[in-house]
Amino acid sequence: MSSITQFFSSSEHVIFFVLALGAISGAVFMITLSKLVHMILSLAVTFLSLAGLYVLLNAEFVAFAQVLIYAGAVTILMMFGIMLTKHEDAEDKAKRPRHRMLLGVSITLLFAVLFLAIQQLSLPAQDALQADNNTEAIGEQLFTLHVIPFELVSLLLTVAFIGSIIVAKKEAE
Amino acid sequence: MTNWFEGSLTWGIFAMFAIWVIVLLLIVLGFVTYAIYYERKVIGWMQGRYGPNRVGPFGLLQTVADILKLLMKEDTIPAKADRVLFKLAPVIAFVPSFAVLAVIPYTETLVFANLNVGLLYFAALSSISTIGILLGGWASNNKYALLGGMRSGAQMISYEIPLIISVAGVILMSGSLNLGDIVKAQGNGFWQWNFIPQIIGFSVFIVASIAELNRTPFDLPEAESELVAGYHVEYSGFRFAFFMLAEYVYVYAIASLTTVLFLGGWKPLFPFLDFIPGIIWFIIKFLFVVFCLFWLRATLPRMRIDQLMGLGWKVLLPLSLANLFITAVVMEWFR
Repeated sequence: MSSITQFFSSSEHVIFFVLALGAISGAVFMITLSKLVHMILSLAVTFLSLAGLYVLLNAEFVAFAQVLIYAGAVTILMMFGIMLTKHEDAEDKAKRPRHRMLLGVSITLLFAVLFLAIQQLSLPAQDALQADNNTEAIGEQLFTLHVIPFELVSLLLTVAFIGSIIVAKKEAE
Repeated sequence: MTNWFEGSLTWGIFAMFAIWVIVLLLIVLGFVTYAIYYERKVIGWMQGRYGPNRVGPFGLLQTVADILKLLMKEDTIPAKADRVLFKLAPVIAFVPSFAVLAVIPYTETLVFANLNVGLLYFAALSSISTIGILLGGWASNNKYALLGGMRSGAQMISYEIPLIISVAGVILMSGSLNLGDIVKAQGNGFWQWNFIPQIIGFSVFIVASIAELNRTPFDLPEAESELVAGYHVEYSGFRFAFFMLAEYVYVYAIASLTTVLFLGGWKPLFPFLDFIPGIIWFIIKFLFVVFCLFWLRATLPRMRIDQLMGLGWKVLLPLSLANLFITAVVMEWFR
């Protein structure tokens, strides 16, 4: 009992706990809810909680890029697509008891494997980047060491962008 | 960044955070109350009217009376609305608008969170409010509300891109995403502020930020004459008040951001006026930006939706990209 109190006396632990709970419950609700808009909203909760976890790890740049792109742009894009559908669109869940039992057993097994693996895992300490300028460090790495993959990815994105414009133009005609 | 979450969480520290947040909230609420009064007076003056002048001395209590009226209204939820999302949407719209205020540096020392990616934080959180507006429009189960929400979403996404790219020039010039460092990179005296070398970026930023705020001439999401009232047509009472509050808190946030990025933050207009404290300079510049927003509202007519999208994608986006390119070339040239 005292170890639990000790665990929650650090604000880092409390915040981690809340964010982890948010990420997991968002993911669970994403699967179980039946209306599409509700699903997307719970997905957004997961994205935001993950961004919070990145902040805890001192990776602010990654965290706010995550919020900007996933919680902002991707979520809104999906909502746009879905809002023009009918309001009462909810899927019916088929009841298959055998499937459910099999599913339960395999989930328990997976959890056991993961839990044991994490328990036995020991991570060697690495010299982490300085927390103050990790945005700068990311930029330097991108434009020196990883410049070729970076340029290739941007080329790929440009191609996809032009391709989507062409497809949209064809449909308009 | 101050690593406050690495310390231990005692009730004392928690209470201190809570008190600071409440102080900021009260300041913002006070600002919103009198910004509405100020807006009505300014527009009244420009249109040759008196504006509010009955409740209290000079009509100073008019907004307070309006807020009381809003809070005492019956809280209605349409029968066919999605009840949970209908209640959640104003919260999702308001919370990010208040959270972005944490990174605004008022003076060199008075800053709530000295985040090293402050600008990115601002841009990221403000995009979340769009979700609240879209959800509010959808959950009302009303076609006008849905159309208003969709328009608002489309507008906010289209103008967020030129807004962020226009700021990239400032980031290049000061070499930091930290808002405090961006102010420090500008000097005493207005000729050393970012708005002169970044004049294209500044213009794009102003236009795009007015569109982000959904204010005239870009207030299409709530165009009364064609959409009844837009995404919040089904809302009343304090939920409606929350949407309005979010909108005015964004006015506060964008005016502060303009001050910080382009108008030198707490730096004085001329070096010999150095004796006036920084917070006064910040407030003067901030109020000037707010005044300009009201001025534009009183002067310009509303745009059409197709003109709006054309302006965003065909004018502002290329301009902001050109600004970024020119800034990079010039900085490399004179290095």
